[in-house]
Amino acid sequence: MASLITCPHCGVRPKEEFTIRGDASLVRPAPTASDEAWHDYVYVRANPRGRTLEHWQHVAGCRRFLVVERDTFTHEVHSVTDGAAFATENGR
Amino acid sequence: MIRDHYNRHALDEKLRGAPRPPGANHLAIGHRQAMAMVLATAGEEDAVERLLSSVTEFAVRFSAPGEWLVISENDTPEGLQRCLDALCSGRAHILDQSEARVLFRLSGPSTRRILAKGIGLDLHPIAFAAGASANALCGHIAVNLVRTGEDVFELLAPRSFAESLFDDLMTMGREYDLTAAFAA
Repeated sequence: MASLITCPHCGVRPKEEFTIRGDASLVRPAPTASDEAWHDYVYVRANPRGRTLEHWQHVAGCRRFLVVERDTFTHEVHSVTDGAAFATENGR
Repeated sequence: MIRDHYNRHALDEKLRGAPRPPGANHLAIGHRQAMAMVLATAGEEDAVERLLSSVTEFAVRFSAPGEWLVISENDTPEGLQRCLDALCSGRAHILDQSEARVLFRLSGPSTRRILAKGIGLDLHPIAFAAGASANALCGHIAVNLVRTGEDVFELLAPRSFAESLFDDLMTMGREYDLTAAFAA
């Protein structure tokens, strides 16, 4: 796993300071969406080999939620953005 | 007198007995600082940061976006609270932390080597200059780390973790003859 994460608020930090809080690419379905859509959103997860988008929380630092794009195969970290900035950029 | 949090320091038990003379590497434990946490309300982060940096009576430590720790060596907790309330005037929430955190001041030529055993941060002056501050993990304890001088660092830890952190720091510094005492 990627061992160094560059937090946009705190700088380069070891991964021990963070907690992974799950897939960040999922989009919450509308309240009236079908049971299948909600089941997929809540329970079904991919286990990708390659680039993934995840929520990481910097629990021992600024305690912000971050969106980390990393590669599960090469352990390379492509980008780290603040969760709030990511949400506004993607119109969520 | 009832022995409670207000008249008992978290490290009284650890530092009982005659103090040893401070060595080259010394850990001073803060006594009676006033501390407060300042949390800016949404949208007022920049204004609060400007206000805090305009005052020199207290030290301001970065904790998170829109969140700072303010430490005053001279003021009382109530005085600091009043001072910050007047300064921020509704732009921020002020929370007294004077009894909630313990200040560790580590000084001496080997401080960086000592801290390197517990903190995964680059502490070279280029990466972490004097005056820089950030929350970090020391061993398993989240602390606020500040560089106040070339070889002087301050760690602010929650009071309930103070004994643990004290033991960790003394173990980390044993090789460098780290001494400890309450600050004068």
